[in-house]
Amino acid sequence: MAHFDLLTKNDFTPILAQRMFYEQVDTVLWIRWGLYLFAGFFAVFPLIVAYIVLAERKIAARFQDRIGPNRVGPFGLLQPFADFIKLIIKESIVPKGANSFVHILAPILTLISAFLVLAVIPFGIGLAPVDLPSGLLYMVSVSSIAALSIFLAGWSSRNKYSLLGAMRGVAQLVSYEIPQVMSILPVILWSGSLSLVSIVQTQQYDQGWFLFSPPGILGFLLLLISSIAEVNRAPFDLPEAESEIIAGFHTEYSGMRFGLFFLGEYLNVFAICCLSTTLFLGGGSLPLQGYFADEADHMLVAPFDASKQSVLKLNAHHEFPENPSTGFRINITNIVGETQAFQVSHRVGNDLVLMANRPVEFKADAYSRVSAAARPSYAAPWHLSNLIMIPVFLGKVFFLVFVIFWIRATLPRVRVDRLMSFAWKTMVPLAIANIFVATIWFEMVIRPVGGFSARLLAWLVTGLLTAGAVALVFRINRNSYQANDPERRPTLISRSGDSLLAATTRGL
Amino acid sequence: MSQQIPLTWFLYFAAASFAIGLMGVLMRRNAIGVLMAIEIMLNAANINFIAFWRYGDVPQGEGPLTGVMMALFVITIAAAEVAVGVGLILLCYRRWRVADVDEFDTLSG
Amino acid sequence: MIQALFIALSAFGLLMALGTVFARNLVNAALFLVAFFFVVACQFVLLEAEFMAAIQVLIYIGAVAVLLMFGIMLTRNIQGDETTIVSRQWRLLGVGVAGSVLIVLFLGINGFKPWTDLGVRPEFPVTAETTTERGQAIIAMTPTVGREMMTRYVVPFELAGLLLTAALVGAVVLAQYDNTDEKTASAEPPQVS
Repeated sequence: MAHFDLLTKNDFTPILAQRMFYEQVDTVLWIRWGLYLFAGFFAVFPLIVAYIVLAERKIAARFQDRIGPNRVGPFGLLQPFADFIKLIIKESIVPKGANSFVHILAPILTLISAFLVLAVIPFGIGLAPVDLPSGLLYMVSVSSIAALSIFLAGWSSRNKYSLLGAMRGVAQLVSYEIPQVMSILPVILWSGSLSLVSIVQTQQYDQGWFLFSPPGILGFLLLLISSIAEVNRAPFDLPEAESEIIAGFHTEYSGMRFGLFFLGEYLNVFAICCLSTTLFLGGGSLPLQGYFADEADHMLVAPFDASKQSVLKLNAHHEFPENPSTGFRINITNIVGETQAFQVSHRVGNDLVLMANRPVEFKADAYSRVSAAARPSYAAPWHLSNLIMIPVFLGKVFFLVFVIFWIRATLPRVRVDRLMSFAWKTMVPLAIANIFVATIWFEMVIRPVGGFSARLLAWLVTGLLTAGAVALVFRINRNSYQANDPERRPTLISRSGDSLLAATTRGL
Repeated sequence: MSQQIPLTWFLYFAAASFAIGLMGVLMRRNAIGVLMAIEIMLNAANINFIAFWRYGDVPQGEGPLTGVMMALFVITIAAAEVAVGVGLILLCYRRWRVADVDEFDTLSG
Repeated sequence: MIQALFIALSAFGLLMALGTVFARNLVNAALFLVAFFFVVACQFVLLEAEFMAAIQVLIYIGAVAVLLMFGIMLTRNIQGDETTIVSRQWRLLGVGVAGSVLIVLFLGINGFKPWTDLGVRPEFPVTAETTTERGQAIIAMTPTVGREMMTRYVVPFELAGLLLTAALVGAVVLAQYDNTDEKTASAEPPQVS
């Protein structure tokens, strides 16, 4: 295969180690993958989530000028274990007429959704559990299961207030899915691929963080806000707020069942922070890493190197075969053909091949480098790069988690009708406008492989457009916010209170 | 894959699902139950589309993804149909106080 | 091995479909339906259309199932315990009709020679030399779907958008709470802006 030839030309790669890594037997790889999965599922993620819970309590305490839990261990570091023991020994009270199967299924579905989202995120080189070529589509699909689980939780509790909380929660989740997905579209446009690994590598080796552009900033903010609403997190936690509707959809959950919901919520917070980091902050890469690539290092294909006008954006796997971003070469959705060493992690296709005027040709030699001399010099061995990438990734993720805690401690809760109108009247138009501005950025900077001056001009143009779009949307909505007093608000829905539908939609 | 799944197996599964859905449409009294059975039938048809697309020849001049596009549009229209159907059932519920299809027996009043 | 997997999956799927049809409690029936949708998504993966599997999960489980649950919840009389299956003779008739349709379909599948000849799946291995359009479409389905939507199927795409808009507006209008149906109308009339 062509990739093995390129391996031998590079002095930095330990060839024997790479070959030993990639030519293992299938059963050994399955076992190794299973062990990684087991370790991640039972050890790594629950521990991370437990300490995120502790961090939330301490950070919220500091915002409120107190200390937080510090009794159990040094600085309260053993508090999660105390909480865990408390939740386990508590009695799980299930209401008398409740459907007990659905009652236990709802938090399990939330957990399933959170873990499945975490399954495609590249935590480092060789550390993406599954590298799907259509990873973002899969992630959007999986995160839409959470709405169902909230509804089941509220329904199975046999409690009117739980049901109201669940209906509001589902309405909120379904409404905020749309800006969440639409704010991801600029990222797909710029990186030319749906695979998260490819998006990270585009930011790492080619474009720099997608945050460093006005449509990127707006997209990041939209993604963060709608993801916070997706996980029922303050200030959007109306469905589960303790002071609002008793406790919303998890009123009737106690003991370990509530513990499962708790775990699922904080795991979701961790998952959306990982997602935002991967998509916009170039998960694992240093801030200015993408800008130091020369013209020869850009991801251009050999047939186009004469004129830089048309760019063939490729899946970055093919450019750096010695840095595979997934060490788990079993890609279980690729059940066609054999799982050869490089065929799985360097799969051709499933990328949005943005081309100027060329038919799609998936040939191996089209993806190989022109010469080894043009290879970027930072193609370090992957296991050493991970020593830098994993802490950087986790640092960014925990910073975003801290921002989420910060928002929770600072902002008051949003009323349900303001919440819905914010989603539909503000965020959806902004997301659509963001796609247009992102196209302009793409045409000015990415497609012609622009240098510094192109970037500056694009910053000016897109910055003006973004600011103008935000100002316009807020100005248009200003009148409706002012007219939102209960006395003056136009009502299409009558105020008779008997029916459940009227009771739920009274706030709308 | 070394062992192949014959096309007829997929067709058997789709036919059986279709028959079960048909049974649900005929037997269910609740309107939402009838809608659920209709969804089963639509999914069975989708499996048929994708199975024939995968196993059959490429038609001339029609593109490589004929079956997939048909299934995609079926999914779209099924979603729209469920939305409108649930709205209609809500209206009928308001009129007759039950959601039984046996009660939906007059177009006036 | 893949055949055993297919048989197990199909049996599970048919059981879930039977559960949807025969469950007394409507919420249980909706949960069986969600499981059936997931089995159909797995079938799509077996047919190497992973894009369709993701779309199936996204739209059917993420939206249609939620909508059906809302419909169940808003149209129930008591706490969802009423019987929803018709009386015994109608039940027998339903089983009979469905069984006869099943027999006719099975005979058609079994005896129709052009279909039984398609036993061997055309193989599209994942190599870089797969240059047929169909092979590339299977390997890279998402961009191909996007391209087809914009070139060959642009008219159905626009019509589907039109239909979805009409369904959206129509559903909102239909489900609007009208005061004339309510027996206990409130004192003040609703102000429609």
